[in-house]
Amino acid sequence: MMLNKKVNYRMPRNLLVLFELMALLLLFIYDKENIDKFTLISVISLIFIIYISNFVLLRISTGDNYIFLIVTMLISIGVVMIYRIDSTLGMKQVIWIGMGILVFFITYLLIKRIKGWENWAKLYAIISIGLFIATLILGTKRKGSINWIQIGRFSFQPTEIIKILTIFIISAYYSNYEKYKEKKYGPYYLMGIIYIFIAFLFLQRDLGTVLIFYSVFLALQFIYEENRKLILFNILLFVISGIAGFFLFDHVRVRFEIWIDPWKYIDNKGYQITQSLFAIATGGFFGTGIGLGHPDFIPEVHTDFIFSAICEEMGIFTGIGIIMLFLILVYRGFKIAINQKDKFFRIVALGISILFGIQSFIIFGGVLKMIPLTGITIPFVSYGGSSMISSFIALGILQVASEELDVEEKRYGEGT
Amino acid sequence: MEKELKRIIAILVIICILFISLIVYLSYFQVFKADKIVNNSYNKRLWINEEKILRGSIIDRNGKILAYSEKSGDTYNRFYNYGNLYSHIIGYSYREYGKVGLELEYNKALLNISESTPLKELKNVVIPNTEGNTLKLTIDHHLQAYSREMLKGKKGAIVAMNPTTGEIYSMVSMPDFNPSTLKEDWNDIMEDGESPFLNRATSGLYTPGSVFKVIPTIAALETPGLDLEYECTGSTKIDGYVLKDYGEKAHGKVNLEEALVRSCNSYFAEKGVQIGKDKIGEVADRFMINSPIPFDLPTAKSTFPYKGNIGKTDIAAASIGQGKVLVTPLNMAMIASGIANKGEIMKPILVKEIISPEGRIVSTNHPQVLSKGTDIFVANEVKNMMVEVIKRGTGTNASIKNVRVAGKTGTAENPSGKTHAWFIGFAPAEDPKIAIAVVLEEDGTTGGKSAAPIARNIIIEALNSI
Repeated sequence: MMLNKKVNYRMPRNLLVLFELMALLLLFIYDKENIDKFTLISVISLIFIIYISNFVLLRISTGDNYIFLIVTMLISIGVVMIYRIDSTLGMKQVIWIGMGILVFFITYLLIKRIKGWENWAKLYAIISIGLFIATLILGTKRKGSINWIQIGRFSFQPTEIIKILTIFIISAYYSNYEKYKEKKYGPYYLMGIIYIFIAFLFLQRDLGTVLIFYSVFLALQFIYEENRKLILFNILLFVISGIAGFFLFDHVRVRFEIWIDPWKYIDNKGYQITQSLFAIATGGFFGTGIGLGHPDFIPEVHTDFIFSAICEEMGIFTGIGIIMLFLILVYRGFKIAINQKDKFFRIVALGISILFGIQSFIIFGGVLKMIPLTGITIPFVSYGGSSMISSFIALGILQVASEELDVEEKRYGEGT
Repeated sequence: MEKELKRIIAILVIICILFISLIVYLSYFQVFKADKIVNNSYNKRLWINEEKILRGSIIDRNGKILAYSEKSGDTYNRFYNYGNLYSHIIGYSYREYGKVGLELEYNKALLNISESTPLKELKNVVIPNTEGNTLKLTIDHHLQAYSREMLKGKKGAIVAMNPTTGEIYSMVSMPDFNPSTLKEDWNDIMEDGESPFLNRATSGLYTPGSVFKVIPTIAALETPGLDLEYECTGSTKIDGYVLKDYGEKAHGKVNLEEALVRSCNSYFAEKGVQIGKDKIGEVADRFMINSPIPFDLPTAKSTFPYKGNIGKTDIAAASIGQGKVLVTPLNMAMIASGIANKGEIMKPILVKEIISPEGRIVSTNHPQVLSKGTDIFVANEVKNMMVEVIKRGTGTNASIKNVRVAGKTGTAENPSGKTHAWFIGFAPAEDPKIAIAVVLEEDGTTGGKSAAPIARNIIIEALNSI
């Protein structure tokens, strides 16, 4: 086996349950009027599901079992905070987590059983572009970006799925690199596709996601592209489009101005970020304690600004803890990639790790005002169905990539 | 594969650096920036406390209540008992307009909220904190009211303090405003060209004129071998620039004491240049010019930029308190205190004690030596000269029967064309109980004529009542 099976998983698993039970107790004290039987049963069953999932995973997967543990820890912190901010959202989040874990296992099994993922780059691209067009036609505007599709009561963010498809496209391209290189304009296929995606994202005014796409693409290109000039070209284009965005789009400029001095716009544009800074500053190192702070002063606190709420009530030590958990997750992801012999899954593992890393960095840095703020969610921690499901899909894929896959058959040659 | 591995690790390193920078930034933010941010008046958390805690009272040194809060229904209302009288000391605390003065600087004490630690938070859950601390000031209400009466209808500031402890007895800045009717007056105050919100006593920067001469006087006494005699002809020429005495009066042959008593400009201009900018600057520095004064209210920094590239005329002008010298009235009161207190300058104190709702003293501001201005011999010598100023010089209007007053007058030229009238001094000279600085902004009169009588009245009042 690639990873040492002897590692004791029981201890962290039990610690996790202990953490969750204590958090539950705290919530119980904090919100005793509102906690009914239904809430209690669903929360306890969630703790049970998480425990069992960790247990089952150890049995069925021969790969890395730490990534799921790390993620369940992140989820636990997130859901406690969401429940404290708004108990109805908290209950919804519990359901999303349950579904997310289910999706994780389904993804795991599908990705493992079905062979030939590296051959369907065209299909991924077609689905992605289809989703983009659907978003533009059917999409509704939220927080200045058109990135949600509403179907009945249910709404989702197609870009969450496209992120993963894009990683698949890049991985399929570089694992069949030799083949594409021989074709006319072959070396530019990938760049063409990626820039079409980025153009779509610009049309949707979804800047945070543009940044994520660019970063994942640039990082993977840096590792696998043989034509090094292309990388330079892309970095140059990245800078140029950043500057162009600044002058062409009002909302880019506004974000930048707020970042430079939010205090000047404290009454309007800078309200959200300054409220976030108040929250983090109030928390100190140990936090005010759950229920004792006022994270509800921050608009959108349950999604983009959940990190500020955590810092206020649980202290920046917990904040640093979350950052470290992501760092470990990314590290495990890279380790998985390095050990994976199948090139496609190696690149997929890298892509997903970079995705988790960059996405969380952008929003952590944003709410801290270290970098300009772009509204995106923290994977696994923020409230939200699309984000939760897509993050679990990505995790399921990473789980497959952590196992030893048969690589004896060279698969390129037939059908793309 | 080798190349691929290297590049993978390079990307991993970049991501690690990004994450570590987050942690570093977060810690930096918490340690160095958080305090300031939390106290921003836009932080609603400050007002949340306000709704649950009865804000503490502010009382004078004798226990007279100056400001207090009262519960009416669900909200607490703040009352300022003496309207304009304490506008620049206590300030105000309103949701709409924020906080200033002691209401801002001592907000945490008034609400009894200390640094948040888990233990204190826990204690707060068990025994909720509902009442804030009381601030006991060093101000004497009677003297404060009297000082304001003296300044009524004029522009300027008065600072009266105890030279041996640094306790401020009265501090008035005019024009002022009424914190009780702030809502109605807000627009008028904002449009008022005389800036009633400015606390002139701590933050007003004035040309000092002749009151500043005590600094070169000390510098002269500390310069061995300096010829202290001078033949005054009513004006002097330094680097082609003519400096005149008041009314171009020739004082004849004068020594240092005579020069100070008669406020001879040509003497100090000539001697200042001989002493040199570094020595005068060093004495000024010891008397807290050029450095921020630690105080319970925000203070402006008095300046005498001697370290820069300044010429002889600038030194001459500075020696008579003109040119590039700018001082705050609080600083001048401290200089007078320093001379009165054997050369030692005490840290000015405005809040004497913080008292808990149960009546326990939570913290006390003890007298503290802030800086050593000069030694006891030089201080005594200058004191005796200042007594002469009052006895037979420019400051006769400040003389009191049976009490030896020491002082110095000043009439400062400034860009407005109307002179500032200054007086600094202390009394009784043999055992100083009170030190004072009076400035009448753009009054157009001499310090001896208008500022000295005000100081005299306040000194009498203080000696009789405190």
